[in-house]
Amino acid sequence: MIAKVSNGVWIGQEPDYDSPINRGSHCCKGAAVRDDVLSQRRLRYPVKLVDGQWTRISWQTAISEIGDKLLDIRERSGPDSVYWLGSAKFTNEAAYLNRKLAAFWGTNNSDHQARICHSTTVTGVANTWGYGAMTNSYNDIRNSKTILVMGGNPAEAHPVSLQHILEGKELNRANMIVVDPRMTRTAAHATEYVRVRPGTHIPTIYGMLWHIFQNGWEDSEFLAQRVHGVDEIREEAKKWPPKEVERVTGLPEAQVKHIAELFAKQKPATLIWAMGQTQFTTGTANVRASCLLLLATGNVGQPGAGANIFRGHTNVQGATDLGLDVTSLPLYYGLSDEAWRHWCRVWDVDYEWMTSRFPSKTLMETPGIPSTRWFDATLLPKDQIDQPSPVQAMFIMGHGVNTITRMPEAIRGIEKLELLVVCDPYPTAWSVLSKRKNGIYLLPTCTSFEMEGSRTASNRSLQWGEKIVDPVFESKNDYDIMYMLAVKFGFADLMFKNIKVETGSVSAEDILREINRGGWSTGYCGQSPERLKAHMKNQAKFDLVTMRAPKDDPEVGGDYYGLPWPCWGTPEFKHPGTPILYNTNLPVKEGGGTFRARFGVERIVKRKVLENGQEVEREDHDNLLAEGSYSAGSEIKDGYPEFTLGVLKKLGWDKDLTPHELQAILRVSPTRPDSVSWATDLSGGIQRVAIEHGCSPYGNAKARMMAWNLPDPIPVHREPIYTPRPDLVADYPTLPDAKQFRVPNIGFSVQRAVVDRGISMQFPLILSSGRLVEYEGGGEETRSNKWLAELKQHMFVEINTVDAAERGIKDGGWVWVTGPESGSRAKMKALVTERVGKGVAWMPYHFAGWFEGADLRAKYPSGSDPIVLGESVNALTTYGYDPATGMQEPKATLCQIKAA
Amino acid sequence: MSRMKFLCDAERCIDCNACVTACKNENEVPWGINRRRVVTINDGKPGERSVSMACMHCTDPPCAAVCPVQCIYPTEDGVVLHNKDLCIGCGYCFYACPFGAPQYPQVGNFGTRGKMDKCTYCAGGGGTEEPGSAAEYAKYGSNRFAEGKLPLCAEMCSTKSLLAGDGDIIAQLYGERVRTRGYGSGAWGWETAYHEDTKP
Amino acid sequence: MFVLVRNSLVIFALLVLGVGEAPSLAQKLGTDGAPNPDASVVNQRTLLEQAPRIEGRIDIPDVKASVLIQPAGRTWDYFHEVLLHWGGAIMLLGTLAMLIVAYLVVGPLRISAGRSGQKIIRFIAFERFSHWLTATSFVVLALTGLNITFGKILLLPIVGPETFSEISQIAKYLHNFVSFAFMTGVALIAVIFFRHNLPQRVDLEWIRQGGGFIKSKHAPAGRFNPGEKMVYWLSVAAGLFISASGLVLLFPFYGTTIADMQIAHVVHAVIAMLFVALILAHIYIGTIGMEGAFEAMGTGKVDLNWAREHHDRWLAESLEDERHSAATPAE
Repeated sequence: MIAKVSNGVWIGQEPDYDSPINRGSHCCKGAAVRDDVLSQRRLRYPVKLVDGQWTRISWQTAISEIGDKLLDIRERSGPDSVYWLGSAKFTNEAAYLNRKLAAFWGTNNSDHQARICHSTTVTGVANTWGYGAMTNSYNDIRNSKTILVMGGNPAEAHPVSLQHILEGKELNRANMIVVDPRMTRTAAHATEYVRVRPGTHIPTIYGMLWHIFQNGWEDSEFLAQRVHGVDEIREEAKKWPPKEVERVTGLPEAQVKHIAELFAKQKPATLIWAMGQTQFTTGTANVRASCLLLLATGNVGQPGAGANIFRGHTNVQGATDLGLDVTSLPLYYGLSDEAWRHWCRVWDVDYEWMTSRFPSKTLMETPGIPSTRWFDATLLPKDQIDQPSPVQAMFIMGHGVNTITRMPEAIRGIEKLELLVVCDPYPTAWSVLSKRKNGIYLLPTCTSFEMEGSRTASNRSLQWGEKIVDPVFESKNDYDIMYMLAVKFGFADLMFKNIKVETGSVSAEDILREINRGGWSTGYCGQSPERLKAHMKNQAKFDLVTMRAPKDDPEVGGDYYGLPWPCWGTPEFKHPGTPILYNTNLPVKEGGGTFRARFGVERIVKRKVLENGQEVEREDHDNLLAEGSYSAGSEIKDGYPEFTLGVLKKLGWDKDLTPHELQAILRVSPTRPDSVSWATDLSGGIQRVAIEHGCSPYGNAKARMMAWNLPDPIPVHREPIYTPRPDLVADYPTLPDAKQFRVPNIGFSVQRAVVDRGISMQFPLILSSGRLVEYEGGGEETRSNKWLAELKQHMFVEINTVDAAERGIKDGGWVWVTGPESGSRAKMKALVTERVGKGVAWMPYHFAGWFEGADLRAKYPSGSDPIVLGESVNALTTYGYDPATGMQEPKATLCQIKAA
Repeated sequence: MSRMKFLCDAERCIDCNACVTACKNENEVPWGINRRRVVTINDGKPGERSVSMACMHCTDPPCAAVCPVQCIYPTEDGVVLHNKDLCIGCGYCFYACPFGAPQYPQVGNFGTRGKMDKCTYCAGGGGTEEPGSAAEYAKYGSNRFAEGKLPLCAEMCSTKSLLAGDGDIIAQLYGERVRTRGYGSGAWGWETAYHEDTKP
Repeated sequence: MFVLVRNSLVIFALLVLGVGEAPSLAQKLGTDGAPNPDASVVNQRTLLEQAPRIEGRIDIPDVKASVLIQPAGRTWDYFHEVLLHWGGAIMLLGTLAMLIVAYLVVGPLRISAGRSGQKIIRFIAFERFSHWLTATSFVVLALTGLNITFGKILLLPIVGPETFSEISQIAKYLHNFVSFAFMTGVALIAVIFFRHNLPQRVDLEWIRQGGGFIKSKHAPAGRFNPGEKMVYWLSVAAGLFISASGLVLLFPFYGTTIADMQIAHVVHAVIAMLFVALILAHIYIGTIGMEGAFEAMGTGKVDLNWAREHHDRWLAESLEDERHSAATPAE
């Protein structure tokens, strides 16, 4: 997008035809972004709630009062009592800074929208083959022969991707299969649409695998060379003959067989998904099941194939990468002692000092509370929460409250907090939902158009965004706000040691350079600000399909657009980025790769086998490294572990390290230099040498169909907590109650109560939720945009014509929707349609500002109320958390609807 | 001579409304005036298709024919423009328009119509204002055409469904698409607008 | 095979409990064997054969925006620019021509007996008010209406586009607001003259004698002769239709669709042309066509001899009433 600016005012938008990703195209949100900046509904100055009135204060007063209160809470209850909720709308640099701020504050309670978005993808996919991100790219879908969309509606959620999908479909005469409970705008363009019951992804996949294994359609060579655990999956798939699949999913045998055959035989085939797989208590298992299908058919690591996992928001991929996650420091280093030491080295701070910021080393290395549970962590009795004290303050930067399930509980949570701070361009629903009269601060934060920084697209490409105009009104950018806080907390000098700050203005470029210096594990090390800016300047040179620039270009020669991570080594190493992960057809130096050796080199399993007619237990040493598969040009023609100095020495390649690199490695670990790895070597030397020899720095292993460290090592179907099929719960119950992420997860008890109390009789409709193309996330910004707000002026529920007729509900008429928890109810308009099948209701999740039928417009700071308000679907959604990530379950719950 | 047209490829349109907000953004079109809109046929049923629609800049524009003050006229490029200074807000063009393009701001109580507003093909106005001037922008919106640019709705279309430009060229483009993919439900509205059918 | 898939789907739909009705769309192949997502799409021509308009769903709260294509607009254009122009012109010019012929051939109808000098009240003030309210508003509406139909042909070339637009703008507002006066007038006329316009036995005699068109004789008539009654009933009927269609046009899309608006406009235009023709005749007979007629609405009083010749029965009744009221003075 190119902005026209006159006298500091943004007067027009021009399409950026040269962008290889969108070629100038937008959806309605993109085409309307100018009003995000110009909107008169923006919060103009800092305000605080005083006896129920919004009162204007200065930034100084705000930071001083907030800081004092936070420090007071920290003093009394420990740093974990403050929750730092960040944003997918951050730039990479702001996301990183926010995680760093939480670390300096002394807590792992730092999260963002990815929790409710793709946390299950990250966990599930990374545990399968190394990295939890989209393996290929939007552009690469142009190479696909079969496009299977399961659990995604890209036409409305990722409209620009459709130009690649539809054009690819047309050019290749490709199959485009959409499996979804709703006949979506995406399904309208499918060559085949399959209506499925929400929450039955795993049976559908096993149903397909049953046919694939039955007919020998699997890719045996791929499985033998690059996949571990296929035997376990064969066994599990046997439990899903067509009859059982039909009983659980409702899909007839012929249709399942047909799509399985297309996917396995008409290759390359890609599987696209988004929230339709992730937002379930089985989210992690769902995405793992998808990976199984891809692996079984050999559809990973080549153009036109892969797991094309569509990420939302401007920068949810980057914010995830940069560690706005309760389980990890930036770039998936985790929270181990080693991870903390690595980042302390990058930050140039003393590890002991960092430890002193935390109540204990244990808490420092324990995952925090997921954003889905913040109010449980506020409301539950102290003894049920595994940290010194419940959450008492929320510091929110760009995150809606209405995107998280169980809003009636969240409102009670807001009321119990001591302090609520919301940094956002808009007041958001946080400011109006509760009965609080005091203790809320709203800090006007500018949009990303009013600041510079990089963002990571879904395909792992980074793009540098220029500042278009100065922050409007009194708003400030994320960097400067965090700097002010750091000054208040007294650690600004330490935190910004290597980041330039001029008269309170923080250098985004310096933050990116710091990320480069520490981002080895994910290949965030090569994307310097200079290289990214060169890419933006030379956009026209990148190919539409391969996204590569011609090799002879002086500035960006041979690079893939946006240097998609992993972009190995230092910026000077000039790695071109990796457009397709695990692609063995290319040398690593040219963007190729192997499956990551992340889980050791072998797995010891005890198996029962028949020997001479007798069953004996045998100890197997399963080789986890690839066998006979390697990336092009590799000097090791087989699998290999991840590279360390020790490994280099064994291979005799350590001689290739420069003295400077060797010194840096010794500085990392003077005592055990051999243990310094490709991910902790701050010089990039180990990566460089491995790649010069054609090898992946992270090793060459098998993908894991069997992920023994997960709650369900192989995907197992489990009914949603609020299942419409209580008859299936006996066979497919959810996992037992347990404590996860410092809080209890009592899903099993809730599910049993749902069955025992006949909830599905009282609430006979399945309630699912999703996106509208006009709005984004909680919708505060987009519902305040006059061009977007006009297009969808009312909250609504989609209800099937038959269900509507039974209830006397007319299209466009008002209805009351009731939910099974907290006596929840919401008033909205009915959209009577065949988009949803009988028995299914669907709502968009972008609305807020109404609660239980009451319009809360008067409670917004005057003039800052969004143009369109409405009930939130999450006022009706219910309990249910993925045990591996804390993901909520808004895609499958129950409700009842009656005419109002 | 080139003759400007719009073509919406229904096999590509996904109802994303980018064309709608691009139009609003480029021309500062006020709330309630919808120069462009997307209509979905057979919503939620097999055969569902969405089509983006605005003024098609018809051949023999019926709006121009029925206008009692003759304020609407086709330019040399086939763009149908109108002069707001002459418009009396009678509403006839809306009755005659096959595509529901003319819009009227409400200026009094009940349905009293103000001066008609419609898609200008981002080619400014049909009045006496200087092309590209601030006065023209305030009254009609932007004049991209004068800068050699096409309407922003088509330029920003997410899937390149909405095509704008010389009628022969976009018809050829569409024809090539249909030949490549082997299907296409025809250029919606072409027969009505231009007395010609662009079919698969 | 695909038929099979779909059949089993239908059966499945019947079997499966409330979860997911099954109209899953099995893959359809094009003639070349590649998948064709268009197979179930109905093309526009077929849609237009099924209905005159293609309509769909749109989320903005503007119901008329849901009509995607309405080729009827072109039909309406044809009506408006061809049929209405020619039809209206023929109708109006024809009427004028006939009246001129009537004037030249028949000439004005004189009072045969000459003026008596004595007057009798024919229309009281309120009746005259009602008539003139209707009459003046009708003239305004007719002229402004004709302007919007024929102005661009007749007036625009003379005064130029700017002036013509200004005139037309004023004309539009006049037409919109004066319409309320007209509707009031028509309603009043309909009520106050209702009784005297009911058919009577004497009307048959008047018709048999050829009404007022045979100069030598004067046919018998009550307060209104059948000719006047015809004008009354036609005006009331036309007034009703033109008001109803006018109100629809005045409040566009208040519960109406584009088709309703087009029909309303056609009705309004056709009735208007007929109405103007009728009123032209009415004006002729009320002014230059008949000596002594204008006074009835002008001053309210008519010459006794005029009354005797044209409304003998009414005169007799009126004189009777007068005598009666004189004989029984009010107490």
